[in-house]
Amino acid sequence: MRAFNAELSKLLSLPGIWLALVIGALAPAVVAALDSIVEKADIVAGISTRLSDIGYIGLGFGVQGVIIIGVLAVSSEYVTESSEAGGGQQITTSLTVVASRLQFLLAKACAVIVISVLLCIVTIMTTVLATQLILGEHAPEFEWTRLIGAVCYWTFTALLAFGITLLTKNGMIPLTVLIINSSVVSFSFLLTKATKLAFYLPDRAGMDMFMSERYLTPVTGGLVMLAWVVVILIIAAIEFHRRDVAA
Amino acid sequence: MLTINNLVKHRGNQEILSGISFTAKPGRVTGFLGPNGAGKSSTLRILLGLDRATSGSALIDGKPFADLQHPLATVGALLDGSGAHRMRTGRAHLRWIARAAGLSRARVEEVLDIVGLTHAAGKRVGSYSLGMGRRLGMAAALLGDPAILVLDEPVNGLDPQGIRWIRTLIRERAQSGHTVLLSSHLMGELAETVDDVVIMNRGKIVADGTLEEVIGHYSTLEEAFFAMTSEHTGDVV
Repeated sequence: MRAFNAELSKLLSLPGIWLALVIGALAPAVVAALDSIVEKADIVAGISTRLSDIGYIGLGFGVQGVIIIGVLAVSSEYVTESSEAGGGQQITTSLTVVASRLQFLLAKACAVIVISVLLCIVTIMTTVLATQLILGEHAPEFEWTRLIGAVCYWTFTALLAFGITLLTKNGMIPLTVLIINSSVVSFSFLLTKATKLAFYLPDRAGMDMFMSERYLTPVTGGLVMLAWVVVILIIAAIEFHRRDVAA
Repeated sequence: MLTINNLVKHRGNQEILSGISFTAKPGRVTGFLGPNGAGKSSTLRILLGLDRATSGSALIDGKPFADLQHPLATVGALLDGSGAHRMRTGRAHLRWIARAAGLSRARVEEVLDIVGLTHAAGKRVGSYSLGMGRRLGMAAALLGDPAILVLDEPVNGLDPQGIRWIRTLIRERAQSGHTVLLSSHLMGELAETVDDVVIMNRGKIVADGTLEEVIGHYSTLEEAFFAMTSEHTGDVV
């Protein structure tokens, strides 16, 4: 519990995390609002085919916030001070404060989970509010099961970012790849055009938890993504446990 | 009490430590010397559980670091730089450490005062000078009031006042029965501070004893050091 408190305190005292929280809480609402404005005429006329996904699109695109949180939670440990400042890394302090590396990782992962879940709940509120403000009585009913799916999607995405960064020790690669994949060009989406297997990639499968146009059932999609998360975290934890901090 | 026993470390096909053994005893300041690349930092890192030994053991009060119940209250460590993230304030850095060890915020203010950083505690670590960063690292090491201190080049970057402060602090800790192991390049400084000396060269211990024993027939610690670590004599002594 102490280690968890420390990790939470560590995350919340990083300015980058607050930027991620703002992006995470507002970006999906903005996307949902724009989407609502574009679709409003069709929805009012009753001819929109996308009514059921309004808002959820934003929640799908809006995972950047939790990606930043997952990446920063690990990469901030490995940021090296300038050589004039002695060239230290926070990870040395972290590991001399908590004796067990496994405990350290669990505490950090739990802090990432808690922040991601809370952020997603706030985001759902801002997103629902945005659609209601614009669509009024035509706003879609939000279903609890799908919203829980969105919370799981965000949390699993944060943990994937966390695990991958643990392997790379550097935030730039995972941050760039994951953010581009979740916003500008979805590599996994392009792959689904080539092979059906791509529907089992973590982000595709995870989106099936709450999007209406899906390949897997929400539960299967969730389990597939969870399996990815578990496998990557186990590999990352083993690697982290046996490697030298200096290496 | 710190006990290093037959420690061997390989990295790639390089042997960094070739079976070193020594102890650092309570109530004494042990100086750990050696040229760059001798293996001092590797030894300290293995002792603190940061790197893994290929074989042998490094024990803190008879236990490996990973088995310590309360690491921060057992051993305080100062390694490279400040060990803090540059975007965090000095106070926020000490606060998360205090949380990890279940210590109060009042204790954070206490150590800030001890190391003379209270005035800069609200500034980001990235804006600190090297000396301020080292003071912050010392504050973290002292936070849990541990019986053992492991300090890697503690006076590096400090001004004369800071050096004197560290020296006094270290002597006081040893006098109250604590164990202090510190590495340094500064011979003159070490000779003023330490009781025991361990000298390493190329992954081996070349001298181990009290300050007087290690100086032996040489006139100063520096003379003894160069005699033991210079290219020609290093492997013989």
